[in-house]
Amino acid sequence: MQEKVEAQNILSLNSVEVLYDNVMLAIKGVSVQVPKGEMIALLGSNGAGKSTTLKAISGLLKAERGRISRGGITFQGTDITEALAQKRVEMGICHVIEGRRVFEHLTPDENLTAAAPRGMSRSTLNAEKDKIYGYFPRLAERKNSQAGYLSGGEQQMLAIGRALVTQPKLLMLDEPSLGLAPFLVEEIFGILQKINKDEGLSVLLVEQNALAALEIVSQGYLIENGRVVMHGTAEALKSNSDIQEFYLGGGETDFHNVKHYSRRKRWLS
Amino acid sequence: MDWVFLSELAINGALTGLLYSLFAIGLVLIYKASSVPNLAQGGLTMVGAYVVLALARDVGLPLWLAIPLAAVVMFGLGFGIERVALRRLAGRPVVMILMLTLGLDIFLRGTTLAIWGGTSRSMELGVSYDPLFLGDIFISRIHLVGAGVALALFVAFMLFFRTRTGIKLRAIADDYMASWSVGISVERGVGLSWALASVVAVAAGVIWGEIQGVDQALSLLLLKGLTVAVLGGLDSILGAVIAGIILGVVENVGADFLDPLVGGGSRELIVAAVLILTVMIRPHGLFGRHDIERV
Repeated sequence: MQEKVEAQNILSLNSVEVLYDNVMLAIKGVSVQVPKGEMIALLGSNGAGKSTTLKAISGLLKAERGRISRGGITFQGTDITEALAQKRVEMGICHVIEGRRVFEHLTPDENLTAAAPRGMSRSTLNAEKDKIYGYFPRLAERKNSQAGYLSGGEQQMLAIGRALVTQPKLLMLDEPSLGLAPFLVEEIFGILQKINKDEGLSVLLVEQNALAALEIVSQGYLIENGRVVMHGTAEALKSNSDIQEFYLGGGETDFHNVKHYSRRKRWLS
Repeated sequence: MDWVFLSELAINGALTGLLYSLFAIGLVLIYKASSVPNLAQGGLTMVGAYVVLALARDVGLPLWLAIPLAAVVMFGLGFGIERVALRRLAGRPVVMILMLTLGLDIFLRGTTLAIWGGTSRSMELGVSYDPLFLGDIFISRIHLVGAGVALALFVAFMLFFRTRTGIKLRAIADDYMASWSVGISVERGVGLSWALASVVAVAAGVIWGEIQGVDQALSLLLLKGLTVAVLGGLDSILGAVIAGIILGVVENVGADFLDPLVGGGSRELIVAAVLILTVMIRPHGLFGRHDIERV
């Protein structure tokens, strides 16, 4: 039974703890499972530990002097807790880091080229590029301009496209909606959903914009203060009254009955 | 005004300037990948020249074989410097890496002094010192050869930065974190840029060694090379070439006018003035990229 569950999950975090600079505990025992081919969201407010969780998975922690001090991560049944970031990309984990971070002085086309894995043939690379331009026609239009001058939405598309060139099996996105107009968020999330459906790509999405995220994922984890405090299907989370009040901006609308002071994030205590 | 004399000054200035460019291309290569002006480039150039001499004189190889072999040795040395010293500093403040390159320069000078002593040795490339006349204008052959080498390297690197490896190096220069995130080996890229700069150092070392002899003074080329690189924009190879020509002409023509007035030594003043004015008026140089600010 255990075996079967493992086989269904492409990624599994088991009570992962992360230390920065050997002193600061950023996440305190996070367990997250990403079933193969599904889209999962990590929700939570600023500084909850969502980004740290992604960096622990992609291995980028090391660049920020952080390390996994307890727990383990398995990807497709292989323990990757200690693997180098580069190795993890080769295995099929790609992390679209927060803030888009395209290569500003390169053209979008060169951005895609830069991400090509070692040994990828020219024809495979061109096929990958065509596929990405198919998903993001706006990028195709501007493929030879300087990436630094693209709009925020286009840069986010480029960052996702650049990650797709590495031919990932698990795509992780850190706040792709940050600073984008709602219609752009909808467009980008729609494309993500399409890629997920077409290619069976598993997606782990970190979002503060819970409303948008819960529309496209199947399950969500709520992280607060470095711990998973809630886990459920998107439907269950959407209908949860606490989530509604704190993350979806819903809840009481009659201002005479607002109970902000009596109500608190109960799971924190 | 003697136009023939003036154009002779300008042409020879431009050729000398291209030799500065030859040196500065090495600086630009490393700056592009790690955003650090490599203060050890002078030391590397000097070591490049010594390695060629060691292979040619001490081992007895012909020069045409000694030079490419030295290039291979220096390519390895460049990679080695990244592996042993720089890798530990990845992610640290740039000033730490800057200090490391300064220390490396002192170390290289000390090492060559210990092994080969401080006596100037000659390169003996076999380029004739007979004057070459272009109409009435006298041109130095070795400077012409060196300028040709500089231009050849310029073309080679312009092409290189369009290849996939070259694009990855430029990506590293843009953003380390983003490079890691898509599986680019930043470490290998920085190593490669040091290796290539070390090969450029062999070329500069051979030409400059032929002109002024091979000794520790070769490492002082850093000052003029850095001026050219800064004027050109530190991360632009085209900038290094054009700035080299500009500095060479300004220095040669300007010194001719100024020397009689100040009693000699105005070359250094002109170079210093160019460096200081560039930093004050146009910090990113003629062709340097400046950070993109989107509103």
